[in-house]
Amino acid sequence: MDYNIIFDITFLLLFAWVALYATAVPQGDKRWWGLLAAMAALVGVGMALGRGLWRTWFIDAAAFVAAAMVATRGTPKALDAMRHYLALLVLSVVCIGAGLLLGGEGATPPGGALPNVVAALLLVGFAIKLALLPFYFWLPGVAESAAPMTTALIVSVVDVAAFTELVHLRQVAPWVFADHAALWLVLALLSMFGGALLALAQRDLKRMLAFSTVDDMGYLLLGVTVGSDVGLAGALLGALSHALLKVLLFGAVGLVEGTIGEPVTLDNSRGLAARFPVSGAVFIVGSLGMIGVPPLFGFVGRWRLYLTGAEYGGPALVLAMAVATGLALLYYARAIHRVWLGRPEGITVSYSEPRTAKGVLVALAVVVLLLGVFPGWMTGVLG
Amino acid sequence: MTAIPLFVLTSGIVLELALGRVLSRKDKGRLAFATGLIALVAVALLIPTVARQGAVDQTLFSWDQGVSFQVHVDGLSLVFALMATGIGSAILLYCVGYMTHESNGITRFYTLMLTFIGGLVSLVFSENLLMAYVSWETIGLCSYFLVGFWYKETVAVNGARKVLVMTHLAGYGLLVAILLLHVRSGTFLWTDPALGAAFSSGIFLLMLVAAMAKSVLFPLHTWIPEAMNAPTPVSALLHSACYVKAGVYLIARFYAIAPWQPEWHTVVLAVGCVTMVIGAVFALVQTDLKRLLAFSTISQLGYIVTGLGLGTDLGLAAGLFYAMSHGLFKGTLFLGAGAVQHATGSRDMRKLGGLAAVMPRTVRVWLIAAASIIGVPLGNGFVAKWLLYDAALDAGQGVVVVVAWLVSVFTAFYVLKATVGVFYGDMPEWLCRRRVHEAPLAMQAGMGILAALCLLFGVAPQLLMRPVIEPAVRGLGFDWAVGLSWLGVRTSSAGAQVTAGAVLVLVSLFAGWAVYRLGRVATGKDQVRVFTGGEPLPEAGDRVSVTDFADMAEGAFEPVYHVADPDPIYVVLWRGTECLARWVDDALTPLNEGHSLAVTAALAALVFVAVWLW
Repeated sequence: MDYNIIFDITFLLLFAWVALYATAVPQGDKRWWGLLAAMAALVGVGMALGRGLWRTWFIDAAAFVAAAMVATRGTPKALDAMRHYLALLVLSVVCIGAGLLLGGEGATPPGGALPNVVAALLLVGFAIKLALLPFYFWLPGVAESAAPMTTALIVSVVDVAAFTELVHLRQVAPWVFADHAALWLVLALLSMFGGALLALAQRDLKRMLAFSTVDDMGYLLLGVTVGSDVGLAGALLGALSHALLKVLLFGAVGLVEGTIGEPVTLDNSRGLAARFPVSGAVFIVGSLGMIGVPPLFGFVGRWRLYLTGAEYGGPALVLAMAVATGLALLYYARAIHRVWLGRPEGITVSYSEPRTAKGVLVALAVVVLLLGVFPGWMTGVLG
Repeated sequence: MTAIPLFVLTSGIVLELALGRVLSRKDKGRLAFATGLIALVAVALLIPTVARQGAVDQTLFSWDQGVSFQVHVDGLSLVFALMATGIGSAILLYCVGYMTHESNGITRFYTLMLTFIGGLVSLVFSENLLMAYVSWETIGLCSYFLVGFWYKETVAVNGARKVLVMTHLAGYGLLVAILLLHVRSGTFLWTDPALGAAFSSGIFLLMLVAAMAKSVLFPLHTWIPEAMNAPTPVSALLHSACYVKAGVYLIARFYAIAPWQPEWHTVVLAVGCVTMVIGAVFALVQTDLKRLLAFSTISQLGYIVTGLGLGTDLGLAAGLFYAMSHGLFKGTLFLGAGAVQHATGSRDMRKLGGLAAVMPRTVRVWLIAAASIIGVPLGNGFVAKWLLYDAALDAGQGVVVVVAWLVSVFTAFYVLKATVGVFYGDMPEWLCRRRVHEAPLAMQAGMGILAALCLLFGVAPQLLMRPVIEPAVRGLGFDWAVGLSWLGVRTSSAGAQVTAGAVLVLVSLFAGWAVYRLGRVATGKDQVRVFTGGEPLPEAGDRVSVTDFADMAEGAFEPVYHVADPDPIYVVLWRGTECLARWVDDALTPLNEGHSLAVTAALAALVFVAVWLW
């Protein structure tokens, strides 16, 4: 089965989950719901198209819809974040479009100086779109000011769909990566380490989660850059788990924020799991999944990516990847223990978690666990 | 056949989850105990087959693309599977009584306990190293969640965080080693000779780091004392049967994968000896009963690893027998400590005392386990220690003997301190006012079974040696020339001198006792209640108190407590990482404030230049 179909089904399921969640934890007004439907339609059709420029345009259109969703919050910060996102999105779309039109989808490089131009355009375009370091500037603002589920959809659906385009590019035009492997690799390592360090520096949980996306994209890019079977399989599986886990994480944070009415940070919240046990539990599951702790789904992609690192760069590269994951462990463990576990502080009112939202999050957590315990049927398709 | 124990444990987990809302707290405990017991029987039934065939191989299911869960059950697997299911079952029986007062999370508790046991069985059965890693981390996760069981208590979850960070970070050593082995050999199966040929010193060290963190070996041991704020059965399972033994298994398994380089022995022996000393010295100053036992575990793991590091059949036999014995006596001690905490609400030895009068059965099992860990004849600890000394002498490692002997003396000190401090002397007033009660029957049964096994394998170690330890040692590629009879008396010629020495020690002990008794008869009464060598008792009272003892040890070993504690170094590393993260954030954030498009354009231009140059 084509991996696009798997991703398409996953995205549509995520849209359904997010919609269900948003009925219990409001994410925006009618405009938000309309944009959600538009985004689902665009992504659904785009992914179903499989390959080609039409698909790219549909996915790009979905990204613009996502930018509009950011603006539905209506706050000055959200509007500013939307403007940043939009501007950089345009630049990214122009770069990728130009790169593809100049021959980026050809199996062999075009003549003259064009291969370098094409490679540079594609590298910059995808780096902006996927928020890789040092082109990540639109992401923190969006994460901080947009509704949690808007951000979740951007990093889980829009970004991951764009990532599958990169995988497609790796398959049809391997020269784009092979001829400039060092640059792609630098970008991957910068994202891995830089994303992890930036995540470690954050106090706001949603900003931390945004930088963890930068971190995770570094691993996925490494798999694509190497381009071996195991590398691509690892990248695809990693992208799929990223999509599921980020909805889980933003969902947990969003549920608390939606209830208490203020951002969750390392400084203002302690022991939230005592008041929000399901949110706490799914945040822990999501965090451990993002780090790649077995038997959660995150491990299934991660071990392949480590193996790719070992094959491509030997002990030095795989150890570097392990160190970067160690940094991720530190910021996730800190978030779990500073915000969720321990004696409750700061919140005195008793809250209850909305049943529908809880159901959505628990169902997603169970999927993440089951896919980790029995990954065979999924890897049989994506591997 | 090999799938049965895992199937039983998985079924137990599913039943716990499915019937969580239906069963009472006690019934959940009984279900977990029954599951453990059936799994134990299923493991025990494998003993004859393994003894006959050497190993049993089976492919259970395809886990991932190209990765099957293949099991290879040999003698070594059985040693650890028996420990996990056997000691695990006794602990689960104890839980039936212990967890009665817990109002929340009982289903979670038993599900995690069974997963914990299943994880270790899966680890030691697995032939595929990637599956072994999955099992390795599964027990890691279980320990994290169990240590943080009381997740609303900050102290408990801080301990859990330390468990997660220290063991998971070190665990990457194992994963990286497995993947490098796969790159070099093309297989994940440790039984494949190609994998053995790819096993280098670097791989050995990576795996050893993972094992050190799991098995609390210096300097990766500091998580275990912090993990003491968990329910006591968790501490018992963590310390005695499952968690810390995973690293021991891994180190032993190296012998089956590849022949050891001489320097590997040196490294393991050095780590083992340093760990046994550090653990014991730190145990001396503890005033919290469970923390004392935690440091004692560190020290005892040092003994076990030292035995394995000797690299002889006798050394391996000593290490493996010690591992099983430690599981039994440390399990008993922890459960005893749990009974004390259950009855008094405290584990602070400075506040306890005189409990022998009100907890007569608990004190009996405690004394058996205490005697065993010290190495008093008739206990399994004596046989284990004796084998280790013998093996070290046999291997020409005199230094190991001296270190192990010295640490045995320390062990006697801190165990007696705990025993006297908790059970003897006068009962403090606050305890007299509290209605202290003996442990419930299920708890007594759990402790009692383990204590009885300490005695059984102390008197007749051959019951464990022949059917269990011998196949394990043979399975690791060693010949078996270890003759052992009642009380651990060596029947093979190599240990004759040592056995003679043991007899001499026993005669001396008897002579000392006889002199003491005759003295008492001559004077008609005890002159003093405590022998202090002529020194006055430190405080008005009837004994050297726990505080006095801790102060004395702290004074004697003061520099060691500063030098040998690696935690300050870890804290510096953590602070340094945080500073670096803040510096990166401070450097990049201004670029994002209002200039993001310009900065992005500049960076894009830089990429264009780099593409041409690179």
